[in-house]
Amino acid sequence: MTHPIDRRRLLTAAVLGGAGVVGATAFGSLAPEAAFAADDLTAQAGLADPNFAEGRITGITGGVLAVTGSDNVLHRIRVTDATSIWKLRPTTLDRVAVGDGLYARGARLGDGTLAADAVWVNIVNLHAHIRAIGRNVLSLDHRGQPIVAHVVPGVTAASYNGTPAVADLSLLRVGRHVQVLGAWHPDSNEIDIATVYAAAN
Amino acid sequence: MVLWVAALQPLLIGAVLLYSSAVKLAPRRSRPPTSGTALARLVGERRAAWALRLLGVVELTLGAALVLPPVLPVEAVAATALMLGFLGYLGYARAVVPDSSCGCMSTRRSPVTWRSFARGGLLLGAAVLAVPAATSWLDAVGTRPAAGTGLLLVEAAAVIAFSAELDTWWLLPLRRLRVRLSHPLARTSRLTGPPLDSSVDQVQHSAAYRSVAYLLRSDVVEHWDEDDWRILVYSARYGGRATTAVFAVPRLRYEPQAVRVALVDDQTGAPVDPPDPSKLDHNTLSNSTFHEGTLADLTLRSGPLGDASLNDAPLSGAGAGRTGPGAVNVG
Amino acid sequence: MAAYGEVSWFCCGSAWGPCGSTGHGACGTCNSGSRQHAWPNASDACFSITRPDRCGESITRRTCGFLHYTTNRCNGVRVATRIADCGPQTDLFCGERVCCGSVCGTNRIIDLTPSAYSVIASLSTGLRPAMVTV
Repeated sequence: MTHPIDRRRLLTAAVLGGAGVVGATAFGSLAPEAAFAADDLTAQAGLADPNFAEGRITGITGGVLAVTGSDNVLHRIRVTDATSIWKLRPTTLDRVAVGDGLYARGARLGDGTLAADAVWVNIVNLHAHIRAIGRNVLSLDHRGQPIVAHVVPGVTAASYNGTPAVADLSLLRVGRHVQVLGAWHPDSNEIDIATVYAAAN
Repeated sequence: MVLWVAALQPLLIGAVLLYSSAVKLAPRRSRPPTSGTALARLVGERRAAWALRLLGVVELTLGAALVLPPVLPVEAVAATALMLGFLGYLGYARAVVPDSSCGCMSTRRSPVTWRSFARGGLLLGAAVLAVPAATSWLDAVGTRPAAGTGLLLVEAAAVIAFSAELDTWWLLPLRRLRVRLSHPLARTSRLTGPPLDSSVDQVQHSAAYRSVAYLLRSDVVEHWDEDDWRILVYSARYGGRATTAVFAVPRLRYEPQAVRVALVDDQTGAPVDPPDPSKLDHNTLSNSTFHEGTLADLTLRSGPLGDASLNDAPLSGAGAGRTGPGAVNVG
Repeated sequence: MAAYGEVSWFCCGSAWGPCGSTGHGACGTCNSGSRQHAWPNASDACFSITRPDRCGESITRRTCGFLHYTTNRCNGVRVATRIADCGPQTDLFCGERVCCGSVCGTNRIIDLTPSAYSVIASLSTGLRPAMVTV
């Protein structure tokens, strides 16, 4: 499965053909004993997660990201074709730049490298008040700090009262409290909005 | 002229102090919180609430004295001292706890900004101007009603404009009106094609997702549109092998029950057959399917969603779970 | 007993982006890379800010370091975390509901750090129905 077009054809055929299922139990009901992992679960609580990394990217070499954490710990994060990369939307490694912030989850290898399953670049989840609404921009107040949040046509969505996300943002109201999931513009107070969670009335 | 203007200032300062005292002397749960504020840093967390109430009493007393006759220079001097103290406190708060709320005139969170200093400066100027006043504000308004009322309204408007806590009175309604007239986000409702987010939403709401959620290792790796479907791809691990989970989501309608999923082996490219549930070995599955630290790090499983055991199982021997607001949460 | 509601995530620890000025939370120990969470009734001062009672939620007082287990009700995955901050601000989202299929959660009752949340859900999902136990 190497050529991108062929791979997509293969995957599309698999899900829309006979192999695709909609049922709840097609892949079995698997219930490992809770006690199997209970000790590991509790032991890790409150501690730094060895299979997680956060920080800013200081270098990109091949498929490896050099990241400096907020605690000045240096991380090496290996990205493969199986790694999901989120930067406002699912994207590829060539869109990631030095200076970007990130969170990554994966598995720590023997040499200390984190083999990433998922990388979220510049992702933020802010609680804010809407101070003003302009054309394709929301002016937000986040803990007393102003944030300029850009609406990205075709990407930005809103979820009102927990209903399915829609592209229509016209129900947002000045003065209301919202949760904004988005992508930060490094070294600025600006973000691009992925999803806004708000009340509809 | 100066004395006439001076005579009007006690009403402005007194009204502001009376309003501020009402906020500080309100019932406990309606008062500004003091934890984490510069006041708490100054006098200690335990004394901060009492200090706030004491300040409210001082404001109430001085505010009433300024508004009510007779006119005494000592009232304006006391107001000047109080305003100097406020400005000093604002400077201290800005330096020591910059994100903290002022708690000056509202329960709404409002950090100290240039507007706070501008308001303090305005009130300090009014207090200094009020010192030489010889007549009451009532007499001053009586001699020139229109001018007196106009000047007081302008000064009050300036105080309100510099008070971030009072933006709900005028600034937010103004901004709402502007939005109502200009509809800056109206175009977003006319964009063709649903955003990716709504397709991810559908996947998360579907039975297909719940059947493979514990196998997923990543977020969305890639996606594309295929006629009426949107294809979403995730990395997964099944039976110890790297696989790809492919979801097909209805693109132009919201129908989670129509979402389809298939698992494809990354090495062979062949679809993975679902196992015979009766032949599942849980120990083998635990050791080979899951590994720590991944997105679907399985630490507790109680069966597929909708399983009554997940919702109703008593935990820690303390009884059934909560089912709605109002019930006691031991948490 | 279990508490049912919504779980979201937040950053702490003076990290990158808008997290740069947040500090280490109400307990002074919060870091985005640690398995920690914010609890709406971690102290009197905390409760006066979050006010879950305004949404009809009765949340037990638990202080810094207390251990909770949070289960994502969309996939049954669970994570163990310790209280390191005050939050979420429940009363600002009273009545908010998030569902997956027929499983729903109402009102925000817990916020996890990115490290903890990514164990049970993708960070690109801002909100999930959750069950919290001790």
